[in-house]
Amino acid sequence: MNSLCLRTVILCLVVVLSIAGGCGRSSGPDSEEEAGGVVEYKHVTWHDDGSLDLTTFEDGEIIGLSKEDIGTLFGPGKTPFAGQRIAVAVTSQGPKGGISGPLYRLRPAWEELTGAKLDIVEVPMADLLNKTITDLRFGGGQFDGIIQGAWFMGEYITPGFIIPIDTYVQDPRFPHWDPGWLPTPLKSIHAWGGKQYGVMNDSDGQVLYWRNDILTNTAWRSAFKEETGKDLPFPVKTWQDVTEIARFFHGKNWDENDPEPDSGVVMHFRVNEQGMFHFMSLSAAFTVLGGEKVDRGTNNYWFDPDTMEPLINQPGHIRALETLYELSQYGPRAQSSWDLGTAWDWFLRGKSIFVFSWGDVGSLVQDVSRSSIKGKIGASILPGSYDVYDMNANAWVNVDEPNVVGNTVGGSWHGVITSTSESPEAVYSLYALMATQPVSLWNVNRGWTGVDPGARIHFTPPQGSADLQGYLDAGWDESDLTFYLKAYRDNFYAKTMLPYLRINGAEEYWRALDQNLSETMIGRLEPQEALLRTAREWNTITDRRGREAQLKQYQESIGYDLLPHAPR
Amino acid sequence: MHRDSRVKWAFLLPAALWVLCFTIFPLVYGLRLSFFRVKIGEPDEFVGFENFVQFFQDERGLQSAAVTLIFVLSGVTVQMALGMCLALLFNRDMPLRGLLRTVLTMPLFATPIAVGFLFVTIFYEEGGLINGLLRWDVPWLSHPHWALVSVILVDIWQWTPFCFLIFLAALQGVSEDYYEAGRLETKSGWMLFRHVTFPLLQPTIVLVLLLRITEAFKVFDIPYTLTSGGPGSATQVLSMYAYRVGMRFFHFGYASSISLILFLLVLVTVSFMFKQIRQTYS
Repeated sequence: MNSLCLRTVILCLVVVLSIAGGCGRSSGPDSEEEAGGVVEYKHVTWHDDGSLDLTTFEDGEIIGLSKEDIGTLFGPGKTPFAGQRIAVAVTSQGPKGGISGPLYRLRPAWEELTGAKLDIVEVPMADLLNKTITDLRFGGGQFDGIIQGAWFMGEYITPGFIIPIDTYVQDPRFPHWDPGWLPTPLKSIHAWGGKQYGVMNDSDGQVLYWRNDILTNTAWRSAFKEETGKDLPFPVKTWQDVTEIARFFHGKNWDENDPEPDSGVVMHFRVNEQGMFHFMSLSAAFTVLGGEKVDRGTNNYWFDPDTMEPLINQPGHIRALETLYELSQYGPRAQSSWDLGTAWDWFLRGKSIFVFSWGDVGSLVQDVSRSSIKGKIGASILPGSYDVYDMNANAWVNVDEPNVVGNTVGGSWHGVITSTSESPEAVYSLYALMATQPVSLWNVNRGWTGVDPGARIHFTPPQGSADLQGYLDAGWDESDLTFYLKAYRDNFYAKTMLPYLRINGAEEYWRALDQNLSETMIGRLEPQEALLRTAREWNTITDRRGREAQLKQYQESIGYDLLPHAPR
Repeated sequence: MHRDSRVKWAFLLPAALWVLCFTIFPLVYGLRLSFFRVKIGEPDEFVGFENFVQFFQDERGLQSAAVTLIFVLSGVTVQMALGMCLALLFNRDMPLRGLLRTVLTMPLFATPIAVGFLFVTIFYEEGGLINGLLRWDVPWLSHPHWALVSVILVDIWQWTPFCFLIFLAALQGVSEDYYEAGRLETKSGWMLFRHVTFPLLQPTIVLVLLLRITEAFKVFDIPYTLTSGGPGSATQVLSMYAYRVGMRFFHFGYASSISLILFLLVLVTVSFMFKQIRQTYS
């Protein structure tokens, strides 16, 4: 044995450590000189009036920002965050995937504007919360920012893992965006206890999509009347209407793409995925009564705001699950094992009359490499119900007009800044740049970005200020777009909204619901039993996490007004 | 001599550090966590055996344990039997033996995660490879019983080659003299297998059984990718349940106790088998 062997050992160790050190992170391309020196702009073009053009990475598309959009922090030759390096965690969809893609597109330009470096740390969606929580809990300090799902907020808030950004929002140095662009339900999930934590990005909510070409077809309408003795209930107003239409079309072959029978509806019930959102958005019509206050039976859904007793097994919720189960019988049998993408694909291939899901569906319909139904869809806010369970009076009420309830189910993925970050201003500048009107619109126009419309600036006049041409230039069919934007505008500005569960353990509560829902969809549990089990599990979760603490957080999250409320 | 000793330790040190960091430390820390209630942002609270007691009152936990046992017993049994049959078949001259043997062992080199995703497409019910080509209407992933069958089938597909390879190697080490002596007594292939091959292969069979049982108890990748534990909780194995409890719900103490229970389950099973082996050969 000699020094040659020892050198070999050391060399091997160096190689192994180098490989290990290089894994997991994506760093940006070098595009600038040293801090404070000359900046070489490849993705930014400054104009004499102080405005600039951003060139997106790889696509080479130009986004123009005015001087007012860009703020005073950035300027020709300025590198306000030179030498800093930030890491932002985001769900792993890749450089041209939803939510993560826009970060890649904007990174080189942001690095040129700031002098800083951005590491994009992609984490599978299912692991994003636990990876970031673990890092924050044990003081790893790996992440400066997180593009979080709205339900993460409760987990981050109590331990102080994220910081409020109100001072930054007011600061004219930073790129300009306005929380007021967001409708109240979306604005509220970016904030907590009156403080702003999140920067606007994506806006999630489920709406109803349908095959407009089929439902307006005279021959099919006549066939419906002949078979059922009734007129086709279209436009649909209630979930019962949806079920009737789905029942009629299920098993028939009404699309020209293949000889196989098609479905009335398609949903995604694969367990531990996003099936529970179907239940939440559908059940709102049967369970949430609107009004000017918040109490057990008004603008409430999840828990009794005085006792934290679960409300998930109330008669309204049970009726909703019965409705969902019946509706599911008119979809493909395999949907109980389908994830989001598989269910969407079924609809995009023209195999289903209805789907109710997120804004991504409307965007994906425009992608002719995946969709055979471009120009053929309609969309609206989710249908309602004439029967609603009043959880104050503990009785059913029958309303004159269907109880239509908007929702913000989903992630509404947006940026927050961690309390361990040493460069919070740099992180905020990135988020704010993405939230400026031109960049935000650019993202929303392009479905692949995963950024869905919700802010006033995304809707076309008269509801908003967006230019229709931007959408059309990005490939949207005008008819589809008209339905789509109206559906989302109606959804986010609805009089009554399904409250969002954002408390500590939100995911655990949802997973308990999800597993029992899955058992119901495969016929192993009756709806009432499934929700009773869910309520029991929720009580166990609440007791383990601390009932008083959970109650307090729940009251804060729904803006519970203790006085007055209706007697039970 | 002294210098040789230093070099020896230099080579051993990385492996020792690896075992310390990635085996001993997690085991000890996990053991410690299992006796605590761990809440994010608050100090850990010692709760004694409460987490372990909770498992035996947890319907989902017990169900996961039952699913795991069914998976292990049925999957490993079929893998062993099929592996043995293939080994016996290949332990003779046949055309294209080398090529076929190579093809048969290929599943072993695929990563379980990729295999799981691959079989999602194969089992796709609305026109996937099986239902589409064979015109079957089997609810591979949407029916609780069929979903468990699917998970077991994939595991069999991936791990039968392991059994096959080891049995084949053992068979090729058996001297032909034993068979010649046996043929003096009987011409029956089954009798020869029962009285010559099987006794001689027993040590190998036990070894493969132990290895497969230990691995099968820890299965995670295939049910996670193929069915996500569903539909319902039909394919949620214990390791997956522990992962969800710990990494999704941040109930680290309880998750550690589930992991330890799984560890003890495997340990008891393996110890029992070793005891039986010692008794057989003593």
